Amino acid sequence: MYALEVKNLTKTFDKLVAVDNASFEVPEGSIFGLIGRNGAGKTTTIRMMMGIYLPDNGEVVLRGVKVGQEFKNEVGYLPEERGLYKKMKVLDTLLYFAELKGKSGREVHKRAEEYLKRFELYDRRLSKVEDLSKGNQQKLQFISTVLHEPEFIILDEPYSGLDPINTNLLREIIIEMKQKGKVIIFSTHLMDFAEKMCDHIVMIDHGKIILKGALKEIKSKYSQKNVSLTYDGDISFLKSNPIVDSIADYGNTTGVKLKEANQAQQLLRMLLDKNVTVKKFDANDISLQEIFIELAGHEENGTSGKEVRNV
Amino acid sequence: MFNYRVLAVIKRELREKLFSKAFIILTLMIPGLIFVFGGVQALLYSTESKGLKFDLVVENSGLIGDFQSEFSQKDFVTKKHYVFNYMSMTREDFKTYLQNTRQQIVDEKLTGIIFIPSSALKDKKIEYYAKTPQNISLSRELERPINKIFLNNFFKSKSLSAEDLDFARSGVDFTGFKVTKDEKIAQEGYGNLVLAYALSILLYMSLLMIGQMAMQSVIEEKGSKIVEVILSSVSARELMTGKILGSAITGVAQMAVWLGTILAVSSSALIALPPEITLNIKPELVLYVLLNFFIGLVLFVGLFSMMGAIFDNAQDAASGNMPIMMLIIIPFFIAISMMENPNKPYIEIASLFPFASIIVMPARLALIEVPIWQQALAVIINLLTIYALFPLAGKIYRIGILRTGKKPKWSEVIKWLKYKY
Repeated sequence: MYALEVKNLTKTFDKLVAVDNASFEVPEGSIFGLIGRNGAGKTTTIRMMMGIYLPDNGEVVLRGVKVGQEFKNEVGYLPEERGLYKKMKVLDTLLYFAELKGKSGREVHKRAEEYLKRFELYDRRLSKVEDLSKGNQQKLQFISTVLHEPEFIILDEPYSGLDPINTNLLREIIIEMKQKGKVIIFSTHLMDFAEKMCDHIVMIDHGKIILKGALKEIKSKYSQKNVSLTYDGDISFLKSNPIVDSIADYGNTTGVKLKEANQAQQLLRMLLDKNVTVKKFDANDISLQEIFIELAGHEENGTSGKEVRNV
Repeated sequence: MFNYRVLAVIKRELREKLFSKAFIILTLMIPGLIFVFGGVQALLYSTESKGLKFDLVVENSGLIGDFQSEFSQKDFVTKKHYVFNYMSMTREDFKTYLQNTRQQIVDEKLTGIIFIPSSALKDKKIEYYAKTPQNISLSRELERPINKIFLNNFFKSKSLSAEDLDFARSGVDFTGFKVTKDEKIAQEGYGNLVLAYALSILLYMSLLMIGQMAMQSVIEEKGSKIVEVILSSVSARELMTGKILGSAITGVAQMAVWLGTILAVSSSALIALPPEITLNIKPELVLYVLLNFFIGLVLFVGLFSMMGAIFDNAQDAASGNMPIMMLIIIPFFIAISMMENPNKPYIEIASLFPFASIIVMPARLALIEVPIWQQALAVIINLLTIYALFPLAGKIYRIGILRTGKKPKWSEVIKWLKYKY
């Protein structure tokens, strides 16, 4: 059973196709990653899922029913560019956002205070938002995203602009929400974060879905041809070797992509023969980054120039 | 369209605007000024110069009796504003007398001496000696009675009937009468003119203030990116509806405070305004003005919100919303021009015209009788304008608030209307 189904979403701005016939499914209870570089169409997709944009085509289905206001009420949304009313007081801000979701009264008030206490903002509850530090404003924004106890949490590039403390805090919230059985959808261009957090992903590039599914399955499918290597020595001879398709240097590790899946042992033997000190040889591992580059990397410098601004 | 989300937005708007300290102070300042204005007027009226002493010197002693009897009936004598000491002497004696009293005049023990030479009976030239001889209120008040005495004397020798004399004596009295549907025709002072001015200025001020505030708040929401968070809970239409209604309620509340104060001042005995500027303001008029203002505000705030959504910052918006400012400024000047003659043909049109009717109709109502159907029509026309324009304004708002980057051209804004958002 899928919690959300995105069916054939298309959105065009002027002549630019921002999202092109995108379809994917978000399973119940999953942490779902929407992955792609900046301008790939992630925000536009999310905005269409939220009903902020009307799609040119396609629809979003929530547990069998087309999304509408009920979905909005069940979502906590943290957009990439976050904002609060500067002149509003901290507690008032939280209560207002909850009220817009149809939650008001003593219970929400109590929960708001609990969250404020937990995030060490309780003493500031009567301060104006503009008097808070940027980090505290971010905390306030997190609280407002989850205060109404949404079934779905949608985070657009959640880690952009966060300091390390708040990054951890947000991760904590996400894990906690997952444990409560909520569906978490987030978009990011940071592959390693996605890799650590998500169990399902969809990869989007130039508005098109280029990959989707459970992270484990995707990785096992792609890992067979890939070797993750840590070494000392010179491996430049591999570049012209007939069994090697490509080599990618990621700093600490090097990814070697083979032409055939069964050539890993052959590669290891070759390295030893050439006196390369092999510190780590993982023939069953591939990073999301590598998969992404394999699928979309040929135009990594964005030469096409068809980036979608936040419109 | 009207639900708890819209209600929440309205509540926030009211808290932000209506209950903000700056707005309350500004709103209360105006009635304060009205009170002060009314108070000063009443004060000036009640404390006109009292007990000023004059010598009235007549060369022709036969005239003293005429002056005494004529002046004694006048307000300025009965109310003891002026006290006259009547005497008679020749010009030669008067010169000596003037020398002797010089010190009294300089010390202001004596305000002045009016000298009426015998020649005045022919050429009506009299002399006034004082420390400050340019006294307009004195000459205005004395001119008529003195002229009457000269006229009487001049025509005494001619064989004219008393009727002829009365006619010759009287000046032209230009009294204004307001003709209404009612049977009785009421004599009218400047009160209605003052009221029309006051309405025009107050409506204009409030409209500008509320409009600008609405635009600012949209720009702020757009600029601080909060709008995307809000839109994850409410639709753009709900947000815009809530903001417009919040602003319109704020404006009507402000106007109610102002008009309520005028109503209270003009009908209370506390501050007695002089009869010629008593404001003829009725509760029905206030209610109509508030209704008309509410509908007009909805229309204008809708446009101001649209402008706020198009632009990213206050500077761009200030230059961009000139067309809307014109829709406020031109009606204001039409309303002011009406004071000269409320029956100009364009005024009737302007008072029904969408946008303009918000200021022109109330001012016109204060001055002349306007048929009920026209009053209703003005509101209906504004409602129809809202019905026609809001789908477009709403679409521009919806697209504009999520758009960032460089200032859009008008041609681009027109293009937005074709987008499917």
